[in-house]
Amino acid sequence: MDTSTINRHWPEEGFTRVPNWVYTDPGIFQREMDELFAGDTWHYVGLACEVPETGNFKRQWIGTRPVVMVRDKTGDINVLENRCAHRQALICWDQAGQVKDFTCPYHQWNYSLDGQLQGMPFKRGALGKGGMPADFDMKAHGLQKLRTTIRGGSVWATYSQSAPSFDEYCGPLILAEIDKIFPADRDVRLLGYMRQLIPANWKTYVENLKDPYHATLLHTFYITFGLWRADNKSSCTPVGSGHSLMVSHNEGKKTSAATPEMARFRAEFELHDMETVKPRQEFKDSRVGGPWIFPAATLGVQANSLQVRHVIPRTPDSFELSFTLFGYADDDEEMQRLRLKQANLIGPAGFVSIDDSEMLKQVQSGAAGYPNRAGVIEMGGRDLEPTDYMVTEVLIRAMWDWYRKKMGL
Amino acid sequence: MAWERCAARDEVWEGGVLGVDVQGVPLALFNIGGKFYATSNVCTHATALLSDGYVEGDCIECPLHQAQFHVPTGAVRGGPAEKPLKTYPIRVDGADVYVDLGEPTKI
Repeated sequence: MDTSTINRHWPEEGFTRVPNWVYTDPGIFQREMDELFAGDTWHYVGLACEVPETGNFKRQWIGTRPVVMVRDKTGDINVLENRCAHRQALICWDQAGQVKDFTCPYHQWNYSLDGQLQGMPFKRGALGKGGMPADFDMKAHGLQKLRTTIRGGSVWATYSQSAPSFDEYCGPLILAEIDKIFPADRDVRLLGYMRQLIPANWKTYVENLKDPYHATLLHTFYITFGLWRADNKSSCTPVGSGHSLMVSHNEGKKTSAATPEMARFRAEFELHDMETVKPRQEFKDSRVGGPWIFPAATLGVQANSLQVRHVIPRTPDSFELSFTLFGYADDDEEMQRLRLKQANLIGPAGFVSIDDSEMLKQVQSGAAGYPNRAGVIEMGGRDLEPTDYMVTEVLIRAMWDWYRKKMGL
Repeated sequence: MAWERCAARDEVWEGGVLGVDVQGVPLALFNIGGKFYATSNVCTHATALLSDGYVEGDCIECPLHQAQFHVPTGAVRGGPAEKPLKTYPIRVDGADVYVDLGEPTKI
Protein backbone atom coordinates (compact mmCIF):
# COMPACT_ATOMS: atom_id res chain seq x y z
CA MET A 1 0.00 0.00 0.00
CA ASP A 2 1.07 3.56 -0.68
CA THR A 3 1.74 4.84 2.80
CA SER A 4 2.56 8.36 1.69
CA THR A 5 -1.12 9.25 1.88
CA ILE A 6 -1.09 8.65 5.62
CA ASN A 7 0.75 11.50 7.20
CA ARG A 8 0.43 10.50 10.81
CA HIS A 9 2.80 10.90 13.74
CA TRP A 10 2.54 8.94 16.94
CA PRO A 11 2.89 11.03 20.11
CA GLU A 12 6.46 11.28 21.42
CA GLU A 13 5.61 9.45 24.64
CA GLY A 14 5.30 6.22 22.63
CA PHE A 15 3.16 3.30 23.70
CA THR A 16 1.72 5.06 26.76
CA ARG A 17 -0.25 7.28 24.38
CA VAL A 18 -2.86 6.33 21.78
CA PRO A 19 -3.64 8.98 19.17
CA ASN A 20 -7.35 9.11 18.42
CA TRP A 21 -6.88 8.99 14.63
CA VAL A 22 -6.00 5.28 14.87
CA TYR A 23 -9.68 4.70 15.61
CA THR A 24 -11.07 6.84 12.80
CA ASP A 25 -8.68 7.20 9.82
CA PRO A 26 -9.91 5.20 6.76
CA GLY A 27 -6.32 4.95 5.46
CA ILE A 28 -5.19 3.43 8.75
CA PHE A 29 -8.13 1.02 8.63
CA GLN A 30 -7.21 -0.11 5.12
CA ARG A 31 -3.60 -0.62 6.12
CA GLU A 32 -4.76 -2.72 9.08
CA MET A 33 -6.82 -4.92 6.77
CA ASP A 34 -3.79 -5.46 4.53
CA GLU A 35 -1.04 -5.73 7.14
CA LEU A 36 -2.76 -7.17 10.20
CA PHE A 37 -5.49 -9.30 8.62
CA ALA A 38 -4.08 -10.31 5.22
CA GLY A 39 -0.45 -10.19 6.35
CA ASP A 40 1.71 -12.66 8.26
CA THR A 41 -0.96 -13.34 10.88
CA TRP A 42 -3.21 -16.31 11.73
CA HIS A 43 -6.94 -15.94 12.20
CA TYR A 44 -9.71 -17.82 13.92
CA VAL A 45 -12.11 -19.31 11.39
CA GLY A 46 -14.27 -21.75 13.33
CA LEU A 47 -14.58 -25.09 15.05
CA ALA A 48 -14.09 -28.34 13.15
CA CYS A 49 -17.33 -29.58 14.74
CA GLU A 50 -19.22 -26.86 12.89
CA VAL A 51 -18.52 -28.71 9.64
CA PRO A 52 -18.80 -32.39 10.63
CA GLU A 53 -19.80 -33.81 7.22
CA THR A 54 -18.73 -33.45 3.61
CA GLY A 55 -20.27 -30.30 2.16
CA ASN A 56 -20.93 -28.67 5.55
CA PHE A 57 -19.84 -25.06 5.40
CA LYS A 58 -19.67 -22.03 7.64
CA ARG A 59 -19.29 -18.48 6.40
CA GLN A 60 -16.70 -16.32 8.13
CA TRP A 61 -14.80 -13.05 7.78
CA ILE A 62 -11.12 -12.31 8.24
CA GLY A 63 -11.20 -8.59 8.77
CA THR A 64 -13.26 -7.26 5.88
CA ARG A 65 -12.41 -10.28 3.71
CA PRO A 66 -15.21 -12.85 3.35
CA VAL A 67 -14.24 -16.53 3.50
CA VAL A 68 -16.02 -19.85 3.81
CA MET A 69 -14.88 -22.88 5.81
CA VAL A 70 -15.99 -26.13 4.18
CA ARG A 71 -15.31 -29.85 4.57
CA ASP A 72 -14.52 -31.51 1.25
CA LYS A 73 -14.90 -35.07 -0.02
CA THR A 74 -11.54 -36.16 1.36
CA GLY A 75 -12.59 -35.00 4.85
CA ASP A 76 -10.21 -32.04 4.81
CA ILE A 77 -11.35 -28.63 5.98
CA ASN A 78 -10.71 -25.88 3.44
CA VAL A 79 -10.88 -22.16 4.03
CA LEU A 80 -11.73 -20.51 0.72
CA GLU A 81 -12.15 -16.92 -0.31
CA ASN A 82 -15.89 -16.32 -0.56
CA ARG A 83 -15.53 -14.53 -3.87
CA CYS A 84 -16.32 -15.75 -7.36
CA ALA A 85 -13.26 -15.73 -9.63
CA HIS A 86 -15.46 -14.21 -12.34
CA ARG A 87 -17.26 -11.04 -11.21
CA GLN A 88 -16.15 -11.12 -7.55
CA ALA A 89 -19.59 -11.74 -6.02
CA LEU A 90 -20.01 -13.67 -2.78
CA ILE A 91 -20.70 -17.27 -3.79
CA CYS A 92 -21.90 -18.31 -0.34
CA TRP A 93 -24.66 -16.22 1.19
CA ASP A 94 -25.79 -18.47 4.02
CA GLN A 95 -24.22 -18.45 7.47
CA ALA A 96 -23.96 -22.25 7.47
CA GLY A 97 -25.39 -25.28 5.72
CA GLN A 98 -24.56 -28.24 3.55
CA VAL A 99 -23.98 -28.25 -0.22
CA LYS A 100 -22.51 -30.59 -2.80
CA ASP A 101 -20.64 -27.73 -4.42
CA PHE A 102 -20.82 -23.93 -4.72
CA THR A 103 -22.55 -22.08 -7.53
CA CYS A 104 -22.32 -18.32 -7.87
CA PRO A 105 -25.86 -16.99 -8.38
CA TYR A 106 -24.73 -14.32 -10.84
CA HIS A 107 -23.56 -16.43 -13.84
CA GLN A 108 -23.65 -19.85 -12.21
CA TRP A 109 -19.96 -20.56 -12.26
CA ASN A 110 -19.63 -23.76 -10.29
CA TYR A 111 -16.87 -24.70 -7.81
CA SER A 112 -15.99 -27.91 -6.00
CA LEU A 113 -15.74 -28.09 -2.20
CA ASP A 114 -11.98 -27.56 -2.46
CA GLY A 115 -12.44 -24.48 -4.61
CA GLN A 116 -11.76 -25.78 -8.13
CA LEU A 117 -13.75 -24.25 -10.97
CA GLN A 118 -15.83 -27.11 -12.35
CA GLY A 119 -17.91 -25.51 -15.04
CA MET A 120 -19.86 -22.54 -16.30
CA PRO A 121 -22.90 -21.95 -18.51
CA PHE A 122 -22.30 -20.93 -22.13
CA LYS A 123 -18.72 -22.07 -22.01
CA ARG A 124 -19.17 -22.85 -25.70
CA GLY A 125 -21.44 -19.88 -26.31
CA ALA A 126 -24.96 -20.06 -27.70
CA LEU A 127 -26.04 -21.10 -31.19
CA GLY A 128 -22.40 -21.58 -32.04
CA LYS A 129 -21.43 -18.02 -31.17
CA GLY A 130 -19.62 -16.50 -28.21
CA GLY A 131 -18.42 -18.57 -25.31
CA MET A 132 -15.14 -18.61 -23.44
CA PRO A 133 -11.86 -18.63 -25.36
CA ALA A 134 -10.77 -22.17 -26.22
CA ASP A 135 -7.61 -21.75 -24.16
CA PHE A 136 -9.43 -20.52 -21.04
CA ASP A 137 -7.68 -22.26 -18.13
CA MET A 138 -10.27 -23.57 -15.67
CA LYS A 139 -7.51 -24.53 -13.19
CA ALA A 140 -6.31 -20.95 -12.94
CA HIS A 141 -9.70 -19.57 -11.94
CA GLY A 142 -10.76 -21.43 -8.82
CA LEU A 143 -11.61 -20.01 -5.41
CA GLN A 144 -8.44 -18.95 -3.64
CA LYS A 145 -7.57 -21.30 -0.81
CA LEU A 146 -6.04 -20.03 2.45
CA ARG A 147 -3.31 -21.77 4.39
CA THR A 148 -5.16 -23.60 7.15
CA THR A 149 -4.34 -25.40 10.37
CA ILE A 150 -6.46 -27.31 12.85
CA ARG A 151 -5.53 -27.27 16.52
CA GLY A 152 -7.56 -29.59 18.76
CA GLY A 153 -10.86 -28.84 17.04
CA SER A 154 -10.25 -25.14 16.34
CA VAL A 155 -9.60 -23.99 12.77
CA TRP A 156 -7.20 -21.18 11.89
CA ALA A 157 -6.11 -19.68 8.59
CA THR A 158 -3.68 -17.19 7.11
CA TYR A 159 -3.46 -15.43 3.76
CA SER A 160 0.31 -15.57 3.98
CA GLN A 161 2.54 -18.28 2.58
CA SER A 162 5.52 -16.79 4.41
CA ALA A 163 3.95 -16.57 7.89
CA PRO A 164 5.48 -18.93 10.46
CA SER A 165 3.55 -22.07 11.39
CA PHE A 166 0.55 -21.52 13.66
CA ASP A 167 2.46 -23.06 16.59
CA GLU A 168 5.39 -20.74 16.09
CA TYR A 169 3.09 -17.77 15.55
CA CYS A 170 1.37 -18.35 18.89
CA GLY A 171 4.43 -19.25 20.93
CA PRO A 172 4.48 -21.81 23.76
CA LEU A 173 2.51 -19.84 26.38
CA ILE A 174 -0.45 -19.04 24.12
CA LEU A 175 -0.36 -22.45 22.47
CA ALA A 176 -0.60 -24.14 25.88
CA GLU A 177 -3.73 -22.08 26.59
CA ILE A 178 -5.28 -23.07 23.26
CA ASP A 179 -4.45 -26.73 23.98
CA LYS A 180 -6.01 -26.46 27.41
CA ILE A 181 -9.33 -25.29 25.98
CA PHE A 182 -9.12 -27.36 22.78
CA PRO A 183 -7.43 -30.59 23.93
CA ALA A 184 -6.27 -32.82 21.09
CA ASP A 185 -7.98 -35.86 22.63
CA ARG A 186 -11.38 -34.31 23.37
CA ASP A 187 -14.15 -33.59 20.87
CA VAL A 188 -15.69 -30.14 20.96
CA ARG A 189 -19.46 -29.61 20.88
CA LEU A 190 -20.94 -26.41 19.46
CA LEU A 191 -23.51 -24.84 21.80
CA GLY A 192 -24.44 -21.70 19.87
CA TYR A 193 -23.61 -18.20 18.75
CA MET A 194 -24.15 -14.64 19.82
CA ARG A 195 -23.37 -11.83 17.41
CA GLN A 196 -23.67 -8.08 17.55
CA LEU A 197 -22.62 -4.97 15.67
CA ILE A 198 -20.87 -2.42 17.82
CA PRO A 199 -20.55 1.19 16.56
CA ALA A 200 -16.88 1.57 17.48
CA ASN A 201 -13.46 0.86 16.03
CA TRP A 202 -12.46 -2.81 16.40
CA LYS A 203 -9.35 -1.99 18.42
CA THR A 204 -11.42 -0.49 21.22
CA TYR A 205 -12.64 -4.03 21.92
CA VAL A 206 -9.15 -5.51 21.82
CA GLU A 207 -8.12 -2.88 24.35
CA ASN A 208 -11.21 -3.56 26.42
CA LEU A 209 -10.34 -7.24 26.79
CA LYS A 210 -6.71 -6.44 27.53
CA ASP A 211 -7.79 -4.15 30.35
CA PRO A 212 -8.80 -6.06 33.47
CA TYR A 213 -9.03 -3.00 35.65
CA HIS A 214 -12.14 -1.56 33.98
CA ALA A 215 -13.97 -4.74 34.97
CA THR A 216 -13.73 -3.83 38.65
CA LEU A 217 -15.26 -0.41 37.97
CA LEU A 218 -17.57 -0.52 34.94
CA HIS A 219 -19.16 -3.93 35.46
CA THR A 220 -21.38 -3.51 38.48
CA PHE A 221 -22.59 -7.08 38.10
CA TYR A 222 -19.09 -8.35 38.85
CA ILE A 223 -18.43 -5.96 41.68
CA THR A 224 -21.72 -6.29 43.46
CA PHE A 225 -21.60 -10.05 43.58
CA GLY A 226 -17.90 -10.29 44.24
CA LEU A 227 -16.96 -11.99 41.00
CA TRP A 228 -14.11 -9.88 39.70
CA ARG A 229 -12.39 -7.71 42.17
CA ALA A 230 -9.20 -5.74 42.19
CA ASP A 231 -7.85 -7.93 44.96
CA ASN A 232 -8.48 -11.21 43.15
CA LYS A 233 -5.36 -13.16 42.35
CA SER A 234 -4.60 -12.20 38.75
CA SER A 235 -1.91 -12.02 36.16
CA CYS A 236 -1.31 -10.07 32.96
CA THR A 237 1.31 -11.45 30.61
CA PRO A 238 2.15 -9.66 27.38
CA VAL A 239 3.65 -11.94 24.77
CA GLY A 240 5.57 -10.72 21.74
CA SER A 241 3.65 -10.67 18.45
CA GLY A 242 0.70 -8.87 20.02
CA HIS A 243 -0.62 -11.87 21.92
CA SER A 244 -1.34 -11.79 25.62
CA LEU A 245 -2.66 -13.83 28.49
CA MET A 246 -4.90 -12.39 31.16
CA VAL A 247 -6.25 -14.44 34.03
CA SER A 248 -8.21 -13.67 37.17
CA HIS A 249 -9.05 -16.33 39.71
CA ASN A 250 -12.64 -16.49 40.86
CA GLU A 251 -12.44 -16.64 44.62
CA GLY A 252 -16.07 -15.91 45.38
CA LYS A 253 -17.39 -13.14 47.54
CA LYS A 254 -15.05 -11.87 50.19
CA THR A 255 -14.03 -8.76 52.05
CA SER A 256 -10.45 -7.63 52.32
CA ALA A 257 -8.36 -4.55 52.89
CA ALA A 258 -9.09 -3.49 49.31
CA THR A 259 -12.85 -3.55 49.76
CA PRO A 260 -13.26 0.07 50.91
CA GLU A 261 -11.58 1.20 47.65
CA MET A 262 -14.39 -0.32 45.64
CA ALA A 263 -17.12 2.18 46.24
CA ARG A 264 -19.90 0.22 44.66
CA PHE A 265 -19.36 -3.03 46.46
CA ARG A 266 -22.52 -3.93 48.41
CA ALA A 267 -22.03 -6.68 50.93
CA GLU A 268 -25.76 -6.91 51.61
CA PHE A 269 -26.63 -7.71 47.98
CA GLU A 270 -26.90 -11.39 47.21
CA LEU A 271 -27.43 -13.07 43.87
CA HIS A 272 -30.38 -15.39 44.39
CA ASP A 273 -29.19 -17.91 41.83
CA MET A 274 -25.46 -18.35 42.34
CA GLU A 275 -25.43 -21.12 39.76
CA THR A 276 -25.31 -18.39 37.10
CA VAL A 277 -21.80 -17.49 38.19
CA LYS A 278 -20.46 -20.38 40.25
CA PRO A 279 -18.31 -22.76 38.25
CA ARG A 280 -18.32 -26.48 38.73
CA GLN A 281 -14.71 -27.56 39.19
CA GLU A 282 -13.38 -28.29 35.72
CA PHE A 283 -9.89 -27.17 34.93
CA LYS A 284 -7.16 -27.33 37.55
CA ASP A 285 -7.87 -23.72 38.47
CA SER A 286 -11.20 -21.91 38.38
CA ARG A 287 -10.59 -18.63 36.67
CA VAL A 288 -11.84 -15.99 34.30
CA GLY A 289 -9.95 -14.82 31.26
CA GLY A 290 -7.80 -16.41 28.63
CA PRO A 291 -5.39 -15.85 25.76
CA TRP A 292 -5.68 -13.14 23.14
CA ILE A 293 -4.46 -14.35 19.77
CA PHE A 294 -3.42 -11.31 17.75
CA PRO A 295 -5.10 -9.63 16.06
CA ALA A 296 -8.74 -10.56 16.48
CA ALA A 297 -9.59 -13.62 18.57
CA THR A 298 -9.67 -14.55 22.21
CA LEU A 299 -10.58 -17.74 24.01
CA GLY A 300 -12.65 -17.00 27.06
CA VAL A 301 -13.46 -18.99 30.15
CA GLN A 302 -16.21 -17.51 32.29
CA ALA A 303 -17.00 -19.96 35.07
CA ASN A 304 -17.93 -23.03 32.97
CA SER A 305 -18.91 -21.02 29.91
CA LEU A 306 -16.38 -21.45 27.12
CA GLN A 307 -16.26 -19.05 24.20
CA VAL A 308 -14.30 -17.88 21.24
CA ARG A 309 -14.76 -14.17 20.86
CA HIS A 310 -13.94 -13.05 17.37
CA VAL A 311 -13.66 -9.45 16.26
CA ILE A 312 -14.68 -8.68 12.67
CA PRO A 313 -13.82 -5.11 11.65
CA ARG A 314 -16.42 -3.65 9.27
CA THR A 315 -15.54 0.01 8.88
CA PRO A 316 -13.25 2.35 10.85
CA ASP A 317 -16.15 3.01 13.21
CA SER A 318 -17.94 -0.35 13.39
CA PHE A 319 -17.15 -3.99 14.04
CA GLU A 320 -19.01 -7.22 14.50
CA LEU A 321 -18.41 -9.16 17.68
CA SER A 322 -19.06 -12.85 17.34
CA PHE A 323 -19.25 -15.24 20.31
CA THR A 324 -19.04 -18.96 19.57
CA LEU A 325 -20.15 -20.93 22.62
CA PHE A 326 -18.96 -24.49 23.00
CA GLY A 327 -18.41 -27.37 25.36
CA TYR A 328 -17.17 -30.92 24.93
CA ALA A 329 -18.87 -33.94 23.39
CA ASP A 330 -18.39 -35.85 26.65
CA ASP A 331 -20.02 -33.17 28.85
CA ASP A 332 -22.79 -34.47 31.09
CA GLU A 333 -26.19 -32.76 30.97
CA GLU A 334 -25.56 -30.64 34.02
CA MET A 335 -22.30 -29.30 32.63
CA GLN A 336 -23.94 -28.40 29.34
CA ARG A 337 -26.71 -26.61 31.22
CA LEU A 338 -24.15 -24.67 33.28
CA ARG A 339 -22.17 -23.69 30.19
CA LEU A 340 -25.30 -22.25 28.61
CA LYS A 341 -26.59 -20.62 31.76
CA GLN A 342 -23.29 -18.95 32.57
CA ALA A 343 -23.13 -17.59 29.01
CA ASN A 344 -25.75 -15.11 30.23
CA LEU A 345 -22.86 -12.92 31.38
CA ILE A 346 -21.70 -12.32 27.81
CA GLY A 347 -23.18 -11.38 24.45
CA PRO A 348 -25.26 -8.39 23.34
CA ALA A 349 -27.48 -8.52 26.43
CA GLY A 350 -25.00 -10.21 28.77
CA PHE A 351 -25.05 -9.16 32.43
CA VAL A 352 -21.45 -8.02 31.96
CA SER A 353 -20.79 -7.60 28.23
CA ILE A 354 -23.69 -5.21 27.70
CA ASP A 355 -21.70 -2.52 29.56
CA ASP A 356 -18.75 -2.83 27.18
CA SER A 357 -20.69 -2.36 23.95
CA GLU A 358 -22.29 0.79 25.33
CA MET A 359 -18.96 2.08 26.64
CA LEU A 360 -17.09 1.49 23.36
CA LYS A 361 -19.67 3.49 21.45
CA GLN A 362 -18.95 6.39 23.81
CA VAL A 363 -15.19 5.93 23.35
CA GLN A 364 -15.64 6.13 19.57
CA SER A 365 -17.69 9.31 19.84
CA GLY A 366 -15.05 10.98 21.98
CA ALA A 367 -12.15 9.88 19.80
CA ALA A 368 -13.88 10.75 16.52
CA GLY A 369 -14.56 14.28 17.73
CA TYR A 370 -10.92 14.88 18.60
CA PRO A 371 -8.75 12.92 16.12
CA ASN A 372 -5.56 14.78 17.08
CA ARG A 373 -5.84 14.20 20.81
CA ALA A 374 -4.48 11.10 22.49
CA GLY A 375 -5.48 8.71 25.24
CA VAL A 376 -3.16 7.92 28.11
CA ILE A 377 -2.42 4.38 29.31
CA GLU A 378 -0.09 4.58 32.28
CA MET A 379 -1.98 2.53 34.86
CA GLY A 380 0.52 0.08 36.36
CA GLY A 381 3.50 2.00 34.99
CA ARG A 382 5.07 2.86 31.65
CA ASP A 383 6.64 -0.48 30.91
CA LEU A 384 5.78 -3.78 29.25
CA GLU A 385 6.61 -6.16 32.10
CA PRO A 386 4.24 -8.98 33.11
CA THR A 387 2.29 -8.37 36.31
CA ASP A 388 0.74 -10.49 39.04
CA TYR A 389 -2.03 -7.97 39.61
CA MET A 390 -4.88 -6.59 37.53
CA VAL A 391 -4.78 -2.85 38.15
CA THR A 392 -2.64 -2.35 35.10
CA GLU A 393 -2.85 -1.47 31.43
CA VAL A 394 0.34 -3.27 30.51
CA LEU A 395 -1.39 -5.48 27.94
CA ILE A 396 -2.76 -2.45 26.11
CA ARG A 397 0.68 -0.84 26.06
CA ALA A 398 2.18 -4.04 24.70
CA MET A 399 -0.50 -4.22 22.02
CA TRP A 400 0.23 -0.70 20.80
CA ASP A 401 3.96 -1.37 20.89
CA TRP A 402 3.44 -4.33 18.54
CA TYR A 403 0.84 -2.51 16.45
CA ARG A 404 3.17 0.39 15.75
CA LYS A 405 5.89 -1.98 14.55
CA LYS A 406 3.51 -3.89 12.26
CA MET A 407 1.90 -0.75 10.91
CA GLY A 408 5.06 1.32 10.58
CA LEU A 409 3.62 4.11 12.73
CA MET B 1 -43.73 -51.83 -20.05
CA ALA B 2 -44.84 -50.20 -23.21
CA TRP B 3 -43.18 -48.70 -26.23
CA GLU B 4 -44.14 -45.07 -26.66
CA ARG B 5 -43.55 -43.16 -29.86
CA CYS B 6 -41.22 -40.32 -29.00
CA ALA B 7 -40.02 -38.81 -32.28
CA ALA B 8 -39.79 -39.16 -36.03
CA ARG B 9 -36.58 -40.85 -37.12
CA ASP B 10 -35.64 -37.82 -39.25
CA GLU B 11 -35.79 -35.50 -36.24
CA VAL B 12 -32.92 -37.27 -34.49
CA TRP B 13 -29.93 -36.18 -36.53
CA GLU B 14 -26.73 -38.08 -36.50
CA GLY B 15 -24.30 -36.44 -34.11
CA GLY B 16 -27.10 -34.34 -32.59
CA VAL B 17 -29.34 -34.46 -29.55
CA LEU B 18 -33.10 -33.95 -29.43
CA GLY B 19 -35.06 -33.06 -26.30
CA VAL B 20 -38.56 -34.53 -26.08
CA ASP B 21 -41.20 -34.95 -23.44
CA VAL B 22 -42.87 -38.37 -23.15
CA GLN B 23 -45.65 -38.66 -20.62
CA GLY B 24 -44.07 -35.87 -18.60
CA VAL B 25 -40.61 -37.44 -18.65
CA PRO B 26 -37.93 -35.22 -20.23
CA LEU B 27 -35.78 -37.35 -22.54
CA ALA B 28 -32.69 -36.72 -24.64
CA LEU B 29 -32.55 -38.72 -27.88
CA PHE B 30 -29.27 -39.40 -29.65
CA ASN B 31 -28.20 -40.81 -32.99
CA ILE B 32 -24.57 -41.81 -32.74
CA GLY B 33 -23.23 -43.33 -35.92
CA GLY B 34 -26.71 -44.49 -36.88
CA LYS B 35 -27.40 -46.10 -33.51
CA PHE B 36 -30.15 -44.53 -31.38
CA TYR B 37 -30.05 -43.88 -27.64
CA ALA B 38 -32.37 -42.32 -25.04
CA THR B 39 -31.36 -40.86 -21.69
CA SER B 40 -32.90 -38.56 -19.13
CA ASN B 41 -32.61 -35.01 -20.44
CA VAL B 42 -31.81 -33.49 -17.01
CA CYS B 43 -28.23 -33.31 -15.80
CA THR B 44 -27.68 -35.07 -12.47
CA HIS B 45 -25.50 -32.21 -11.20
CA ALA B 46 -27.55 -29.01 -11.51
CA THR B 47 -30.85 -28.39 -13.27
CA ALA B 48 -30.09 -28.07 -16.98
CA LEU B 49 -31.28 -29.77 -20.17
CA LEU B 50 -28.67 -31.92 -21.85
CA SER B 51 -30.40 -31.33 -25.17
CA ASP B 52 -28.95 -27.79 -24.93
CA GLY B 53 -25.48 -29.33 -24.58
CA TYR B 54 -22.86 -30.74 -26.88
CA VAL B 55 -22.39 -34.23 -28.28
CA GLU B 56 -18.74 -35.25 -28.31
CA GLY B 57 -18.31 -38.70 -29.88
CA ASP B 58 -20.45 -40.95 -27.69
CA CYS B 59 -20.64 -38.44 -24.80
CA ILE B 60 -22.96 -35.56 -23.99
CA GLU B 61 -21.61 -32.44 -22.27
CA CYS B 62 -23.98 -30.40 -20.12
CA PRO B 63 -24.18 -26.76 -21.22
CA LEU B 64 -24.31 -25.46 -17.63
CA HIS B 65 -21.17 -26.78 -15.90
CA GLN B 66 -19.69 -29.18 -18.48
CA ALA B 67 -20.55 -32.46 -16.76
CA GLN B 68 -20.00 -35.26 -19.29
CA PHE B 69 -21.98 -38.50 -19.59
CA HIS B 70 -21.44 -41.58 -21.71
CA VAL B 71 -24.62 -41.73 -23.79
CA PRO B 72 -24.93 -45.55 -24.22
CA THR B 73 -24.53 -46.27 -20.49
CA GLY B 74 -25.25 -42.95 -18.75
CA ALA B 75 -21.94 -43.20 -16.88
CA VAL B 76 -20.23 -40.01 -15.67
CA ARG B 77 -17.18 -39.30 -17.82
CA GLY B 78 -16.12 -35.93 -16.41
CA GLY B 79 -17.04 -32.65 -14.78
CA PRO B 80 -18.89 -32.00 -11.55
CA ALA B 81 -21.62 -34.69 -11.83
CA GLU B 82 -21.43 -37.73 -9.59
CA LYS B 83 -24.64 -39.63 -10.31
CA PRO B 84 -25.00 -41.48 -13.63
CA LEU B 85 -27.67 -40.52 -16.12
CA LYS B 86 -30.72 -42.77 -16.44
CA THR B 87 -30.92 -44.53 -19.82
CA TYR B 88 -33.97 -45.99 -21.57
CA PRO B 89 -34.49 -48.77 -24.13
CA ILE B 90 -35.10 -47.33 -27.59
CA ARG B 91 -36.03 -48.81 -30.97
CA VAL B 92 -36.61 -47.51 -34.48
CA ASP B 93 -39.59 -48.83 -36.40
CA GLY B 94 -39.85 -47.45 -39.94
CA ALA B 95 -40.01 -43.67 -39.78
CA ASP B 96 -40.66 -43.58 -36.03
CA VAL B 97 -38.61 -43.86 -32.86
CA TYR B 98 -40.05 -45.59 -29.79
CA VAL B 99 -38.89 -45.53 -26.17
CA ASP B 100 -39.74 -47.73 -23.20
CA LEU B 101 -40.13 -45.72 -19.98
CA GLY B 102 -40.41 -48.89 -17.91
CA GLU B 103 -42.61 -49.15 -14.83
CA PRO B 104 -44.48 -45.93 -14.03
CA THR B 105 -43.02 -44.19 -10.99
CA LYS B 106 -45.23 -44.74 -7.96
CA ILE B 107 -46.41 -41.49 -6.43
